[in-house]
Amino acid sequence: MPPSRRAILSLYQSTLRTSKSFSSYNFRNYFIRRAKGTFRAIQAESDPARVQSLYSEAVQELTVLRRSAIVNQLYGGWRLAVEDQKPERFRSDN
Amino acid sequence: MLSRISRAASRGPSSKVSHTVTGYRSRRGIVQPSGADRASVVDLPSTYKDESHFTPRADMLGFKLGMPQREESLKEKVRPIYLDMQATTPVDPRVLDAMLPYLTDQYGNPHSRTHAYGWEAEQAVEDARKHVADLIAADPKEIIFTSGATETNNMAIKGVARFHKEKKKHVITTQTEHKCVLDSCRKLGEEGFDITYLPVQTNGVISLEELEAAIRPDTSLVSIMTVNNETGVIQPIKEIGALLRKHRGIYFHTDAAQAVGKIPVDVNEMNVDIMSISGHKLYGPKGVGVAYVRRRPRVRLEPILNGGGQERGLRSGTLPTALAVGIGEAARIAKKEMAVSTVSSFVLDDDYARSPFHASCYPSDLPFIQLSSGNDFRAGRDRAHVDALSKRLIEGINANVEHVVRNGDVAGYPGCINLSFSYVEGESLLMALKDIALSSGSACTSASLEPSYVLRALGAAEDMAHSSLRFGLGRFTTEAEVDFVIQQIVRTVHRLREMSPLWEMVQEGIDINSIDWSQSHN
Repeated sequence: MPPSRRAILSLYQSTLRTSKSFSSYNFRNYFIRRAKGTFRAIQAESDPARVQSLYSEAVQELTVLRRSAIVNQLYGGWRLAVEDQKPERFRSDN
Repeated sequence: MLSRISRAASRGPSSKVSHTVTGYRSRRGIVQPSGADRASVVDLPSTYKDESHFTPRADMLGFKLGMPQREESLKEKVRPIYLDMQATTPVDPRVLDAMLPYLTDQYGNPHSRTHAYGWEAEQAVEDARKHVADLIAADPKEIIFTSGATETNNMAIKGVARFHKEKKKHVITTQTEHKCVLDSCRKLGEEGFDITYLPVQTNGVISLEELEAAIRPDTSLVSIMTVNNETGVIQPIKEIGALLRKHRGIYFHTDAAQAVGKIPVDVNEMNVDIMSISGHKLYGPKGVGVAYVRRRPRVRLEPILNGGGQERGLRSGTLPTALAVGIGEAARIAKKEMAVSTVSSFVLDDDYARSPFHASCYPSDLPFIQLSSGNDFRAGRDRAHVDALSKRLIEGINANVEHVVRNGDVAGYPGCINLSFSYVEGESLLMALKDIALSSGSACTSASLEPSYVLRALGAAEDMAHSSLRFGLGRFTTEAEVDFVIQQIVRTVHRLREMSPLWEMVQEGIDINSIDWSQSHN
């Protein structure tokens, strides 16, 4: 029994959200790009058995990704030169 | 009352101390007490900063600002973007996730056979061995964990040559090998072996005829790297393997540290007998590598490390479980990314409309991954990404800067682009590009200002070898980073050339090579 459209979309949404929570620029962008690619592949797949196996694989990967994102948030976070820099704030005079 | 007590208290101990000291003096003990009279006063260095040296500023209103070290560096530092993937690659977060259990709770020794801690560690190591073997189409029993590609290269070259030293005393390698291969060969040369350093053609590839001509009856080993670390040149390993298979008794070693996980590698197709793999070049941890040592026909070599007989007796010493798991997971991911056929995933077929769910349920901004024309479809998603970035970088620089030469074969690995910017000094370019982490050559030699010996072997002139930059692209490089690099490079090269008198002369149409720089009086 292949997963429903709703289930796949909800998985896609959580994968994307987890990918966006990486604090390192490179990892964040890679996993966002990868999630899009993976779910495009599921979308393009017509064989229900293949869809089922790709889906369960993506579920597995999401658990790994969740843990990785937490570790990355703990230790990552320097901004790269290409990223938007935070505006420099000065102490006000009052 | 209070003052009297305190006075008595302050006097009390001191008198007692003096008493005991005299007691010690009178009685000779084994341990001499170190009294204050023997201590010497040393001034604190001027750079020393103690907590108490902190002087609050007026705007702190008496509050002391305590901030952990890390937060402080987070606030200020802008990290340069990383384009030195040939030196090392970042550890993939998924690899780290696989390693963490073995760095925390599952700390058993994989060689312990008597308890569950050992069993689970051994199981993890064997799984990792299988993943690495799958990536290069080998048997898990042929995989030996080492500390890195340098150790593997040493083990292979010295081990094979020394094992066969009674009958065979000749080793062939190339001039563009990594330092550790060349240095191992130099060491063998000191021990009385004959070493042939094959030259390379101007595109960095060796010629098979020259290799065949160099083979002697007493040749025991040929060592040629798969992908060069400085130029990205891919050697024709398959053809070399086929050629060497015709000669009996010659072992073929290849240093595939830069190749595995990036280009398809198959040890049986390539007829490789020994192969070196490094963990930290395929998004794994540093400090672990793999030696592939063929079992049939059996490769015999003398181990460098002797001891407990782990790893078929070729590399004794307890395996680092976490690192082995790391390289295994990295290999698994690399294999999986390669298996993703970029074509079938991104070309939508007619069944699309009838597929279980519809296009309309997707956000419409999903981009398609663009494939570059010369894409090797066996190499998968990572490779397609690197190909596209590489094309973007080369086209971007070519469109904006003139007099740029690409060193090495154009058909080499696209993730390693070695460019020479004429009339600009490579090191000054590197210093001007402070927001980009780049290298002018191999990391091992980046401390010296000598031009790269690899580029010299390719026949590059001294000034071109001095002005080279190596761009390493990888899985985690983004398009925005490439665009940023193009913009920075173009700006800096133009600025440096504006300052250069040589560039001025070139603009005026003077041929630099025709100038006699020495002031000869005649």
